Amino acid sequence: MDILDSNTILYIAAFGLMLIGISGIVISNHLMRIIFGIALLEAGANLLLMLSTYHEGAAAPIIVDGNVPAMMADPVPQALVLTAIVIGVGILALALSLAIRVQRAYGTLDMREVRLKLEQEISADAGIDMPSSSEKPADIAKVPLNSVVQQESGS
Amino acid sequence: MNLLVLMIALPLLTAFLLSSINRLSTFAARVIGPLVLLATAAIGLSVWPQLSAAPQAIQWGGFQAPLGITLYADQFALLFALAMTIGTLLLWPRSTENQLRSSSLALLLAGTGSGLALSGDLFNIYVFYELMTVVSYGLIASRGTSGSFASTLRYLVISGFGAALALAGIALVYQATGTLNLAQLAQLAPEKLNNLQGFAAFVLMLVGFGVKAELFPVNMWVPEVYATASSRVSALLAGVVSKLALLIIMRLLILVFHQPEALTVLLVLGILGVATGELAAWRARDLNRMLAFSSIGQLGVMFIALSIPGNAGIFAALAVMVHHLFLKPSMFLLAERWGGSIKALAGAAKTSPVGAALFVLLSLSLIGVPPLPGFWAKLLVIMPMLALDQPLYYFAAFVILAAASLEANYLFRVVMKLYEKEPAATPHNAHATLDLATAVFLGAGLVASVFMLVPLADRLDGIAVQASDVSTYIQTVAPQPLEAGRVQ
Repeated sequence: MDILDSNTILYIAAFGLMLIGISGIVISNHLMRIIFGIALLEAGANLLLMLSTYHEGAAAPIIVDGNVPAMMADPVPQALVLTAIVIGVGILALALSLAIRVQRAYGTLDMREVRLKLEQEISADAGIDMPSSSEKPADIAKVPLNSVVQQESGS
Repeated sequence: MNLLVLMIALPLLTAFLLSSINRLSTFAARVIGPLVLLATAAIGLSVWPQLSAAPQAIQWGGFQAPLGITLYADQFALLFALAMTIGTLLLWPRSTENQLRSSSLALLLAGTGSGLALSGDLFNIYVFYELMTVVSYGLIASRGTSGSFASTLRYLVISGFGAALALAGIALVYQATGTLNLAQLAQLAPEKLNNLQGFAAFVLMLVGFGVKAELFPVNMWVPEVYATASSRVSALLAGVVSKLALLIIMRLLILVFHQPEALTVLLVLGILGVATGELAAWRARDLNRMLAFSSIGQLGVMFIALSIPGNAGIFAALAVMVHHLFLKPSMFLLAERWGGSIKALAGAAKTSPVGAALFVLLSLSLIGVPPLPGFWAKLLVIMPMLALDQPLYYFAAFVILAAASLEANYLFRVVMKLYEKEPAATPHNAHATLDLATAVFLGAGLVASVFMLVPLADRLDGIAVQASDVSTYIQTVAPQPLEAGRVQ
């Protein structure tokens, strides 16, 4: 337990939460998972902030009857984290309500499809045809691909 | 004496009271927003002369520096607080359905923007930055189309990611120094943040605050948002809000982070921003997205300017920022009716000759044709870079010049279309009078600056010198020496 004292474990937890959150945002395509990724990332950042001045056994910085506690917890990060949590919850709620709107309009929560449909909507509004999408292979590319597959399955 | 506090408090208070005022009188609710912004701008302007002598620090609630909430007002901060207030006034949202909601949001934007510019500690910077972000979600989505909801959501994802990273950066700073007050951080930074942890904190905060400043890897939201939001909101976001995020990065760079690696990171990301933004703008086929991508490019130039060490870099960045502050909003105002395909703009100069002429002027200044101010701004960036005599800075200068020729190519393509003899099949809408008047006003500012170039440059240089004076900052915030950072 010498190496893994509670502080180290908490730091690992904070960076771990941030890592999980970032990978959730970057890797997944489902909007709900991305939103949860943001929530996890925020939780990790908040934990990191709390840890920045964490002391085990520190008392609240309140002086009662003239007794000054030997070790007092720093109130600044706590105030900041409280603010950050409130902002985070507000943004989470906003994100969910926007997700409902997007789902109603586009009928999907897949980020790739949302992006494609958004691109189509912008282009249609602007009156230009869609640029060839990088996500769909062009027709010419399909032919040799299919023929290779057929040859392989045939042999 | 502390009238400056009103610059933040008045718009915020009015924003929250607006729906109650609307119950009493709809007329009052419609006019009070612009009136309050006018009053706020007047307050800011009245304080200006005092600040040119010496910056002021305001301790909210009367608690002294490291404990209380500090506002720091120098010309640099006030310039952008004023830009935010006057910019919101000029680009006051005009929608028929959600007028009340948009007005509240615009007032909130003005108040939080001024607060962000004037903040003297990281705590308030974070809070105001987040508030400003949330307000801009509301403004973008206020158009009510499915596209605006989708782009807001995509913007929110990137912004939420950035804000969490910035918070983690703040945590690293606090862990090392035990303070969030910028003056105290400036004192402690050379000793405690000149290491890997400080550098990590800088990168985290750069990426976090860079989301709004259209920094290279976190700017995917830009084209989508500017294409789906109303032009006035795009003008505000691209013209003013992005500069405020840049101001925060500049402050951190001047006061807290002095690592040479930090400048290299800025330089590389700036070069990438210029290259990708201008190339994408060159490929764009509709005016809104062309302007959006080109603003990524211009913000890239500002990041490159910031990476120049010393006072020259701050001066250059300030010049490019102020130039862009005038130019981009008026371009977006012109795009209000010219949004959509560039092909469809053929012959539009006939229906709106003033708009077309203005577009030519703005394009020339954006490219950097002398004697327009855009030329001098770019010159200020490039000259000190060449003087540094380092390969990466030479390369950056080359990229900026190459980008200028790309800009010329795509902007002149639009100009050629505008003055084409054959009109397009669908007739063009002439510009709304107010849009055009505002755009002409901003354009006239650009032309006027040509004739006041020397005093203007002196003024900007004075602002840059004052902004980069770390010891004055510390002295102003805390006349008595601050106690050393709390021992962990």
